[in-house]
Amino acid sequence: MNCTRRNFLIGGSSTLFLSGYFPKISFASMKKKNLIIISLRGGMDGLTAVPVIGDKRLKKLRKKLILEDVLKLNSDFGLHPKLEIFYKLWEKNQAAFVHATNIPYTGRSHFDGQNLMETGAHIPYKEKTGWLGRGLLASNIIGQGLAISLPMPLLLRGVPQNNNFFPSPDFVETKLIDQIYNEFKGEHNELIKSTLDTIRQRPLSMQIATDSDDRKKLALEAAKQLKDQSGPRVAVFDLDGFDTHTAQGGVDGAHADELEEVNEIVTILHENLGQAFDNTLILTLTEFGRTIKQNGGYGTEHGYGSAILMAGGLLKKSQVYTDWPGLKKKELFEGRDLNSTIDSRAVYNSAMAVCFNQDPEYLRKEVFWGDELTDLSQELFKI
Amino acid sequence: MSLKFYRRVAFGLSPNDKQDKDPLNWALSQLNSIPDLLWPGTIPTEKELRKKYGEWVYGDREVLRKKFKNDKNAYKKAKDELRIKTGERYFELNEHAIRHYQTKHSTQPVFERFWLFWGNHFAISEKDFLAEFSTGPYQREIIRPNMVKTFEEMVLSVTTSWCMIHHLDNSESFGPNSKKGMEWRETINENHARELLELHTVSPNAGYTQEDVIQLAYIMTGWSHKWSRKNLETGDVWFDQEMHQKGDKIVLGVKYKNDAKRELAKVIHDLATHPICIKFISTKLCRHFITDEPTQEIISPVIEAWNKSNGSLTEIHKAVISQAYKYNETTHKFHPPEIWLMQLSRMFDLSIPLSAEKMNYAFKSKPTSKQKQLSWILREIGNSPYRAKQPNGWSDFEIDWVSPELLLRRFWFASIELPILVKSENNSHDFILACLKNNFEDYENMASLIHQFRFGTSDKDLGRKYGVICNLPGVLKV
Repeated sequence: MNCTRRNFLIGGSSTLFLSGYFPKISFASMKKKNLIIISLRGGMDGLTAVPVIGDKRLKKLRKKLILEDVLKLNSDFGLHPKLEIFYKLWEKNQAAFVHATNIPYTGRSHFDGQNLMETGAHIPYKEKTGWLGRGLLASNIIGQGLAISLPMPLLLRGVPQNNNFFPSPDFVETKLIDQIYNEFKGEHNELIKSTLDTIRQRPLSMQIATDSDDRKKLALEAAKQLKDQSGPRVAVFDLDGFDTHTAQGGVDGAHADELEEVNEIVTILHENLGQAFDNTLILTLTEFGRTIKQNGGYGTEHGYGSAILMAGGLLKKSQVYTDWPGLKKKELFEGRDLNSTIDSRAVYNSAMAVCFNQDPEYLRKEVFWGDELTDLSQELFKI
Repeated sequence: MSLKFYRRVAFGLSPNDKQDKDPLNWALSQLNSIPDLLWPGTIPTEKELRKKYGEWVYGDREVLRKKFKNDKNAYKKAKDELRIKTGERYFELNEHAIRHYQTKHSTQPVFERFWLFWGNHFAISEKDFLAEFSTGPYQREIIRPNMVKTFEEMVLSVTTSWCMIHHLDNSESFGPNSKKGMEWRETINENHARELLELHTVSPNAGYTQEDVIQLAYIMTGWSHKWSRKNLETGDVWFDQEMHQKGDKIVLGVKYKNDAKRELAKVIHDLATHPICIKFISTKLCRHFITDEPTQEIISPVIEAWNKSNGSLTEIHKAVISQAYKYNETTHKFHPPEIWLMQLSRMFDLSIPLSAEKMNYAFKSKPTSKQKQLSWILREIGNSPYRAKQPNGWSDFEIDWVSPELLLRRFWFASIELPILVKSENNSHDFILACLKNNFEDYENMASLIHQFRFGTSDKDLGRKYGVICNLPGVLKV
């Protein structure tokens, strides 16, 4: 299927809107499963988050970025000390990592890369919808996507009626919208009109009136919504700042600060989801990893292979799942980057299959154009 | 010709602006010269502000952190005092005031729209203290004066500006075979070279390789800030021969002979006149003014004007405006929040920004909440201009600006904040009607939607009226 936003807006949504509300698909018979994606923009360094232990070459190439006090995961891999919630969950089989993985994109441009990590496609800017949006649509899960950001991330586009929130300074009288709603006529106003529909239907609690962008409040509210059996099933967080060309640091420093933010979000989600955490998967997403070698500013350049950080009760077990390519010069991608041996889209496809109760084969065809993606649900997740 | 042309290429008509008999000529005639900045308050130079930047980072990093390394609270207090003394929390507010005063009062508003465009094309994203001290003056002193020159000259100015060099780390880029590179075993930083190709000139459509990025980075080595113990990274930009990679370089198949600082201008000449660059930027201009997906038919005359004039920005701008005029009735364009705000401010004569007198700052206490108001609004509607998240700047696509939360912010602003900004002499219903008539053909329909509130003049009543009007489809879009 090749359902773009436009033909969905023209086709699907209008008929549904006529009925005046969006019927929520009943999953009463089964427990709701949540899928949470945290986008890490700028290029997350997999080797800083989940470093290999005892690699002399890495130590030599990254003299100024050395990590001390890494948390030991197994004989081969450690964990950045700022990711302590993952370590805690690791001990309960509720954290795992996929390493040496990336989307099939080697171009090293942030903007092309971020576009592709969200669309899941091969050619930048060609697709106008995100893989998560298409996955929801293919699973007929409408109006249950939630973004924790001001704009609607591309990742969630492709299915209508997604919501988003961000702390706002004050409440708005939504009856203003009723007064002008019918003025939005014609095809060129469809997007705004359908967004106004979403606003009219959303619970008031989603307006978080506070004059700050306190991430704690955001994660807390997201957890509250996800916990609700009739609430959203998918949430997307958006973090940036991983592009550490300078002063990347080791245990402290620019990259560590960003990882700390991921840690904070997952900590709050874990604490506040309660029992629902058992039916949740949290996965990170980034456009590429970073070079093995440090650069002129004690940072790193844009690379290729990275890692996916995972948490939640739907994980099969604690593990570093990888087909490790090695760090010798000839093993690196173009002699400079950690290679990618697992198409990260296979991980996301499998995660969607598990959370949306779908056949991974079906999703692969509907969402990723039938691209060759191994089903990893058995290896990584509880099914 | 419909009135929306005044909003498509400018900010609509203020109560004092008159419709022109020849709107196309009205717009074209605004592009020949650079209008003065009208802000009656202080307009500090880039150099002065860079000095403040230096005082701030030196004071914090080299003095306070060392002095109070064992006393967190005392450190925090001293740091807050330093913020006040150096204007760290003030200058960005002043820059927003300069910018919004200009778009509200300029007699060449079409020129100002292009100013916003280029400042965003060569965006400085949120990094270190650039938004606090440097992005504003960069917009005024680097972008603006180049807008009547050629695109090539603009690229060269931007690429060697302190602000862009700091933004994209070029001072940290060492030629590995240069004197300093060898001595300190340092190497290149590709950041600036990559964005010069990808964002500023040819775009990935040119099909450059990783090797092209490295070779361009070699050419750019040496262009850096002059570092000193007292000014740290805030010294002037110069070409440091001892950082520069020796030898010939090849970018996109063209060989650049070893020629030290002269290599950069040569490669920029080739990039800025590359057919793919011309097409990329022409498309972006048409997207900004005409429609999200401009057709070949829309873009071609701009490319033609570019080629014919050897990249004269004045001629390019004129071609864009002519096309915007031609397609005014048949295309739609959604405006991002800041342009929407600027248009509301001009059309309804809002008290944005604060008066220059009240914006005055004595470096003795924190900026007041009034002084922070405009910047706060910009942040809350999701479009703080000098704080783009990434070096590709703010999006020109409708889809990136339409989400429940972003639309709600517009309702919030128009119904709750805007009434506070209505001048007391303007709170009559007749005033609103006159502004509508001045700017919209279908003002009668618009007026009918707020007719029920016609007798109210309280903030709440004004909120009901403006909340409706400002979010109508014909106001969000042209």
